[in-house]
Amino acid sequence: MVAETNQGLTRVREIYQDGPRRVKELQAQGNKIFGYLCIYPVLEFLTALDLVPYRIFGDMREPITRADNFMPTVVCPFLRSCLDLGLKGRYEFLDGIVTTHICDVGASLHSSWDYAVRTPFAYHIDTPHTVHETSREHHRGLLDGFKKALESYTGKEITPERLREAIKVHNRQRALMRELYDLRKLDPPLVSGGETIQVAKALMSLPVEEGNKLLEEVISEVREREDGPQKKSARLLVWGSILDDTALTEMIEDLDANIVMDDTCVGSRAYFSDVELTDDPIDGLAHHYLVDIKCPRTFRAGDFNATTKDYMADLESRFSYLADYARDWKVDGVILESVRYCDTHGYEVPQLRDYFNSIGLPSIYLEHDYTEGALAPLRTRAQGFLEIIG
Amino acid sequence: MAEEVKKRALNRLKSMYALRAEVDKMYQGGLEAEQEGKPVAWVMLEGWANPILSAMDIITVYPENYSSVCAATKTATPYLERADAEGFPSHLCGYARTCIGYSAEMVDLGGGIPPEAPAGGMPKPVLLVGSGYVCDARFKWFQALGRYFDAPVWTLEQPSPGARESLEEGAYERNVNFLIKEMKAFVAFLEKLVGRKMDWDRLDYTGGGTVEINRLRWDINQLRMARPGPMHTRDFWSVMSAALYRGAADPEVIIDGHKKMYDEVKYRVDNKIAAINREERYRLSFEGLAPWHSLGFLEDLADRGWNFVIESAYGPQRPVDIDLSKYSDPMERYVRSRYRSLSDRIDDEYEPEEAAEIKEDIRRTGTSRRLGLKHVRDYQCDGIILHVLLSCRAASSGLNLLAEQVKDVLKVPALVIEGDIVDTSLFNPADALRKAEAFEETMEHYRRLRKEAGMEW
Repeated sequence: MVAETNQGLTRVREIYQDGPRRVKELQAQGNKIFGYLCIYPVLEFLTALDLVPYRIFGDMREPITRADNFMPTVVCPFLRSCLDLGLKGRYEFLDGIVTTHICDVGASLHSSWDYAVRTPFAYHIDTPHTVHETSREHHRGLLDGFKKALESYTGKEITPERLREAIKVHNRQRALMRELYDLRKLDPPLVSGGETIQVAKALMSLPVEEGNKLLEEVISEVREREDGPQKKSARLLVWGSILDDTALTEMIEDLDANIVMDDTCVGSRAYFSDVELTDDPIDGLAHHYLVDIKCPRTFRAGDFNATTKDYMADLESRFSYLADYARDWKVDGVILESVRYCDTHGYEVPQLRDYFNSIGLPSIYLEHDYTEGALAPLRTRAQGFLEIIG
Repeated sequence: MAEEVKKRALNRLKSMYALRAEVDKMYQGGLEAEQEGKPVAWVMLEGWANPILSAMDIITVYPENYSSVCAATKTATPYLERADAEGFPSHLCGYARTCIGYSAEMVDLGGGIPPEAPAGGMPKPVLLVGSGYVCDARFKWFQALGRYFDAPVWTLEQPSPGARESLEEGAYERNVNFLIKEMKAFVAFLEKLVGRKMDWDRLDYTGGGTVEINRLRWDINQLRMARPGPMHTRDFWSVMSAALYRGAADPEVIIDGHKKMYDEVKYRVDNKIAAINREERYRLSFEGLAPWHSLGFLEDLADRGWNFVIESAYGPQRPVDIDLSKYSDPMERYVRSRYRSLSDRIDDEYEPEEAAEIKEDIRRTGTSRRLGLKHVRDYQCDGIILHVLLSCRAASSGLNLLAEQVKDVLKVPALVIEGDIVDTSLFNPADALRKAEAFEETMEHYRRLRKEAGMEW
């Protein structure tokens, strides 16, 4: 059992090291644990039904040995790792799994999971990839299907009242996380990039209210701490695909740089916008989970109906939030990172570099194959980048 | 004595050549349209846009197909290298990287066509019609072309529900309604772009032509079940472009070409003429996209008696007769004439008992081991080739699962050949041929297993 005396960052580190331990305790008490992939499944539905959401991660320290039978080596190694862990029984405790069409490989993972891992409940939301009106309407309809499937499985109804309560609790977590990120605006930041990943990963492994309590402890502790990150020459923003292990961030932070902000999905992407409490709460959820979350898997355009194109205006409409991050967190440079074979992030890279060039912010692209051993050569490149911006 | 000239291993269909020539006309039509001041759109293959664009007299050119032309003519490498130099990761789609490199070259030339471009090249677009259907990374590709062109991008969305969710009550109507609205929004955008109204009667004509072409392609494929297989995958690939990337061609021209092809294939079936000029030792399915740069590899395999009798990509859908008279909205007619639910497709494809079992499997487990394998069974394949593409997730990610299922359910083995659709450096034909030789023993082994299990072939 997790020692009850441990709080704040100590407990975060424990959960980061052994994510399933707490949810297995909860399961022993009769709770159902629902795994989810990526940040697009609508977690508020789960919370409204007292199902515990538990995010599925890979393990970059575990060699992929069984997933090859189902997914070729030329696809996202993170998703291959998730499936590999599923095949090895690491997610045996899950009562359900919820995925969305994050990408084709993510959808393919769901099929393989259904075929070879098998979880008592499984659902796949065909989340659209565009945000124009018809897609938003369609997404709203898809959530009705998801809701019905959950209600049928649990025998309970997701009432608007329960859903509103769930939205409030999740919004509370989003607000608290933003509060924690504010503490990274200081120089030196009060919390490191690696610690932030640990916090986010811990939150994604706990019932949301329990996570909120932990997050409050973390914020109090961090405000008072004297053992936080040291002042360094560079303040960096990290943009990119999933970082669910601290290895890359710690490698960078071991150099003369602090990672003060991120745009990743075990980070700000999951927390930087609230769900609007609409008359029909599903409307707000449908909008949030399609439009508000900013991941390259979704096609955005400045004006979808525009009959002319202005490239720089388009970049501005898509990426200006990153300029806001850079300004507010006083960023000196940007690391664009992506796991190899992530097409949606890959296409974005030259456009992002164009954008950062236009606002005078240096950037570098680092690609990795989701193994710890492959990070070493990247250290040299990161070091070189820091020398250039230094 | 003069050495007898060995007959080529592949027995190509004569009717193929006229259809293949239509693709050249598509590119020529793009160039002429630009000269005449007509709007030219670069379009991704997704099945819905071409009849709409044709009905509005917008000329279509297909960069995916063009990249395969570059690969086949071995002119793609400089474009790939240019895309790398532009900062795009080298693991991205070979079609996309070819197109990006080509576009960057066009910008260097002030919008002109690179002189070395095959088939006359693609003219500068006034519109980019993107899609994520089948391959969702394509959403990003045309957006990335914003670096090079000031053409607007319109991205068509299509539903891709999971199997279990497809069987939900109301799912089909939800998807149909979505498609109708999506296509209408597209039309409204086009009307604004070109400043004229959609000709709805013409959409009935172009859309109806697409349905008819699909029907003929289906009928031809049905004939391909015969032994020996009368039409090789190589011929299928050669003509599929005319059907799927038909540009501004009158549907009747393509329909006529396919009728002639049907007649020729039927003649071969009736007279037991094979698609290879060798004994048909093994019947195979090609899973994945073609190695456009190395199609001669199939000639080598045909020489060993390998007949590729079917393939997984670009295939036609089973045609259905739908009474469209009750739909007054032409866009609804257009969508309903073509969009089928998974439930209907299972009912269409399988005998009632098996269909019910498959649906029950899906409801219970989310999948069915029999779904997706039917072509291997129907065409009585001895093996399947998985062409795992180093630059294509969409076509590759499901192949290993398919191989597991085919082996489990049908006792048919799979051979993995890694390569690429465009990049020649990622494919080693000699190595692939060595693997193929060894695979013959595996196919023989599984042939014995099928016999022991009392299977049909």
